[in-house]
Amino acid sequence: MTTLSAVARRARWWNHARVRRIGAYVFAGIVVALVTGPGGSEGHYSNGLRHGLLAPRVIPFIVGGLVVWAAVELGGRQLYRVRPLVTTVVSGSQRRWQSPVVRLVSYGLLLVVAIVYPMHISEFWRVVAANEIAIYVLLAIGLNVVIGFAGLLDLGYIAFFAIGAYATAYFTGRLPIHAPFTLNPFLVIPLAIGLALISGVILGFPTLRLRGDYLAIVTLGFGEIVYEFAKNQQGITTGSAGVFNIPHFSIHLLDINYDWGLPSLPYYYVSLGFIVVVMFLFSRLENSRVGRAWTAIREDEVAAAATGVATLKYKLMAFAIGASTSGLAGVLFASKVGSITPDAFTLQYSILVLVLVIFGGMGSIAGVALGAAVLTWLPELLRTHVNPQNRFIYFGMLIIIMMIFRPQGLLPSRRRAREIRFAEAGLEGADALGPTPGSGLTS
Amino acid sequence: MDTKHVVRAAVPLAVGAVLLAGCGGSSSGGGGGTTSSGGKTFTIACQGPLTGDNAALGINICDGAKLAIDQANAKGDLSFKLAYKGVDDQGDPTKAPAAAQSEVGDSNVIAIVGPAFSGATQASEQYFTEANLASVTASATLPTLTDPSNHFTTFFRTVATDSSQGAGAADYIAKVLKATKVYSVNDGSAYGQGLAKELESNLTKDNVSVTKDSVPAGTKQYATEASKIASSGADLVYYSGYYADAGPFAKSLKAAGFKGTFMSDDGTKDPNFVKLAGSSAAEGALLTCPCSDPQSSQAASNFVTDYKAAFNQDAGTYSAEAFDAANTIIAAMKAVSGTITRSAVVTALKSIDYQGITKQVKFQSNGELSSTTVYLYKVKNGTISYLGPIDQLIGG
Amino acid sequence: MCFTQSFWALLVSGIENGSIYALVALGYTLVYGVLHLINFAHSEVFMSGAFGGLFVVDAVVGGPPSSGLSSAGLIALGTIAGAFFGAVAAFVLERVAYRPLRRRNAPPLAFLISAIGASFFLYNLAGKEFGTNPISVPQIYDEHPWFHLFGAPVLNTYVIIVVVALTMLVALDRVITRTRLGRGIRAVAQDAETASLLGVDIDRVIVTTFVLGGLLGGAGGFLYGMAINVSFNMGFIPGLKAFTAAVLGGIGNVRGAVVGGFLLGIVESLGVSCVSSSWQNTIAFSVLVVVLMFRPTGILGERLGRAA
Repeated sequence: MTTLSAVARRARWWNHARVRRIGAYVFAGIVVALVTGPGGSEGHYSNGLRHGLLAPRVIPFIVGGLVVWAAVELGGRQLYRVRPLVTTVVSGSQRRWQSPVVRLVSYGLLLVVAIVYPMHISEFWRVVAANEIAIYVLLAIGLNVVIGFAGLLDLGYIAFFAIGAYATAYFTGRLPIHAPFTLNPFLVIPLAIGLALISGVILGFPTLRLRGDYLAIVTLGFGEIVYEFAKNQQGITTGSAGVFNIPHFSIHLLDINYDWGLPSLPYYYVSLGFIVVVMFLFSRLENSRVGRAWTAIREDEVAAAATGVATLKYKLMAFAIGASTSGLAGVLFASKVGSITPDAFTLQYSILVLVLVIFGGMGSIAGVALGAAVLTWLPELLRTHVNPQNRFIYFGMLIIIMMIFRPQGLLPSRRRAREIRFAEAGLEGADALGPTPGSGLTS
Repeated sequence: MDTKHVVRAAVPLAVGAVLLAGCGGSSSGGGGGTTSSGGKTFTIACQGPLTGDNAALGINICDGAKLAIDQANAKGDLSFKLAYKGVDDQGDPTKAPAAAQSEVGDSNVIAIVGPAFSGATQASEQYFTEANLASVTASATLPTLTDPSNHFTTFFRTVATDSSQGAGAADYIAKVLKATKVYSVNDGSAYGQGLAKELESNLTKDNVSVTKDSVPAGTKQYATEASKIASSGADLVYYSGYYADAGPFAKSLKAAGFKGTFMSDDGTKDPNFVKLAGSSAAEGALLTCPCSDPQSSQAASNFVTDYKAAFNQDAGTYSAEAFDAANTIIAAMKAVSGTITRSAVVTALKSIDYQGITKQVKFQSNGELSSTTVYLYKVKNGTISYLGPIDQLIGG
Repeated sequence: MCFTQSFWALLVSGIENGSIYALVALGYTLVYGVLHLINFAHSEVFMSGAFGGLFVVDAVVGGPPSSGLSSAGLIALGTIAGAFFGAVAAFVLERVAYRPLRRRNAPPLAFLISAIGASFFLYNLAGKEFGTNPISVPQIYDEHPWFHLFGAPVLNTYVIIVVVALTMLVALDRVITRTRLGRGIRAVAQDAETASLLGVDIDRVIVTTFVLGGLLGGAGGFLYGMAINVSFNMGFIPGLKAFTAAVLGGIGNVRGAVVGGFLLGIVESLGVSCVSSSWQNTIAFSVLVVVLMFRPTGILGERLGRAA
């Protein structure tokens, strides 16, 4: 603890930083050996460890770790010379990114790709695009308003998705309790958005007075309660058996008659349309009075309140907007997949959407959309490239590595990137959830 | 210590991950699609939860199908070659459409064993119907899957439904065990809730008083539920769910001093149930299952040894049914006179009459088995032993 | 009907559950105290401890327990092994998923996500390595009711779990309040910057905090696994409940976590006599919301520093 002992410790050879790093490399080698090794599901539970770790095959991995260590320590210094170059390129492109023309053109190009590319992929990937990617992108954009704009940690977000989905089932007459009228799922959209919005306000009003982590656990509880309700109230929701044969979208307007059937592409385009509209609306919102109020709340709630920002009102607004986006996604999902079960609305999914938002770059609409698309697509891609049983192991690793090297996400918002730069320089905390854990601790 | 130090320590992780992705890509490949000299190769896909929490169940099923395919190839009397392809739907209705679509989109796939779970089946079947692709499930027991309003024209199952099992169990409880007060507990899953509903309505019909309860699967901690039941004066507990929870539940019931009978379903009929409950708590437990005893015939006992030899573990619940489902498909393919196409296989399945190891496989027009028998098992001396078909046990 | 039927039996199992929750809740609360961070991967620490204990007990135990003394020895061995492996898991977790972020002054949400990633990784790795079937710990003692409390059987398992848990809780409380190490932890919890200026080695304090939480969580994991079974997904539900318990008692507050753990265990257990077990999360969270309405920072308030 004292400086003297610290000096003494540092003087020993095994405390030399370079030597201590061997441990990290060997450890990484062993982890890789474990992850790629045989599983233990057959026969005895210790088989996995016996054949994966306590077997000769672990040696090349340890040696590999040592080789990488040696390469990095002895020859790899040059690698770090590349870093300034990368930084220059990245910051240069970031500067150019700030030009509105460049941004508009890139968004346009992206949209064209999003429209044209799915025409040329297999039906499997179209299903993935319509059932998963589009839905999660929409969910992530919605949660981004809550957490990225207003800085509220919501762990029960998927509950609103459930509300949207079950509303679809209700108004299309697929639940044991019957609505006074049945509608085409298209027409359910405004109703579902309204319902999700109202439930967002009902949940938010008493709980938004709570701070950071308390809000997180209360919203988590709300998510669990909605889930248990869907699961247990068999007379209302059909319980775990789920709701099936939810009708597809259809339009019957004047002379236009169109039915969305099983093919995924038409659904994908509807979802894409909603995504574009929502992205546009939210980016307008971000730069409005409301958006600035959210930023003020996120960065310092007390100061915001002191300068006359009606914090509760704006927080409720963020909550309700996020909830209604989730509800919209719920309708699209229920109608596309045609079946919903309570197990699609568990806590894990709330957490997953949160991961998508942070991974993409909290606060940046484009980043969040990109992050959600990439992270939803990746496990499906991994399915064909690694043993599918292991793909979430890689997924977990990727998330940790990403948070270590790029905590601001794939495409951070400018404001947030600046906040994080300041935080890294030790100037201030980066979000409303408080300062960096253990801040001021680095020597 | 400086920042760089830590960053560098994390580099190997990143490098490792990249390397891994490379290794994994080369080492694993999907089955199927390879043609060889012995005629065209068809793929029989098996759809079920091969990853995730329910993977153990899905793997039991798909291994059964895989064994049937491997044996058919090895036998060498086919005019075509067969390949196996496992398709993972995580048992999740929302993931099932993508899985179904990947099967429909693979032109080598001639028929499907599965989907394993009822919810996933309900969500997948419309794709199969549209593509005229036969799916023979060995384990999706939800009665309403064959409801005419679904229009599932390519759906078949080699297993009796929950309504047969619920009715059989209720009759046995009322007429043979003569229980008067039954505690019906389900695991909150689609399967558990569905079976419990069938059981409860049949018990009420038989004038047995029923208390209903539900404990979510994965709870593991059954002490409170057990105390509640022990003091309720019930003389029988029927658990609708899977062995992973039935085991600890039976164990807790015994610890709480429950003296009545523990009874459960096909999801519990797994050697792991006895292991998890402990042999003393499992002793005497009655298990209903729409699956017959795989030891009953020579062919069936061969299956048990072959399965053990191939996968280094005992055949689990529905492994034998999946083996039959795959063999039924193969028999249907053999029965096709002209070119083997997806729709020809569907047609052949409709009139198939195949002697499987668990039962005579013959379908009604809606895809249900012609005869649906439910069997009873009892845990004796730590092993699950066969008692017989329930209707015979009641009659005799 | 409600509460009257089998009240004592439910109370007993509530206390047993509560003691496990308390052990795990301490892990959340300790880490929250010093880092203001929800350690989402703590449920996997719990699971690691259970597997560690299982391995050691499985390696040592030959046949059925020969005597009471050897049973006690095996239980102690398993608990220590569980605590050890829990501590190792927590230590590695801190090194791999937290420290690099701390070095780079990453924002709190990045820590949360990193923890979620670690949890994903460990959970799925365990599923792969050990299979997805639950595994029973070999029987190391003969389970039977030890005595009856107003007619409710009290199993020796319950007594063992509660006694071991209470011993560890008291020991931890002594460490936090009486030792130099505990003073360091409290100092960091109250004001990290000042503590570091006053010469507290913060890295060490943080690692120690993780290890302490891991010891308790791992031991809890073994006890839970011994009473029920061990599986890759065993951590999720107790982890969620323990986290709720920690918030209930006042997150960051050591004694609060203990109070919250026992309270939640008992309320949940007694609640089941009124409504079906399928509503247990609804019961738990309703209690939480009601408590937070009246005491916004939990029953005993927030700060670890104030625990003394």
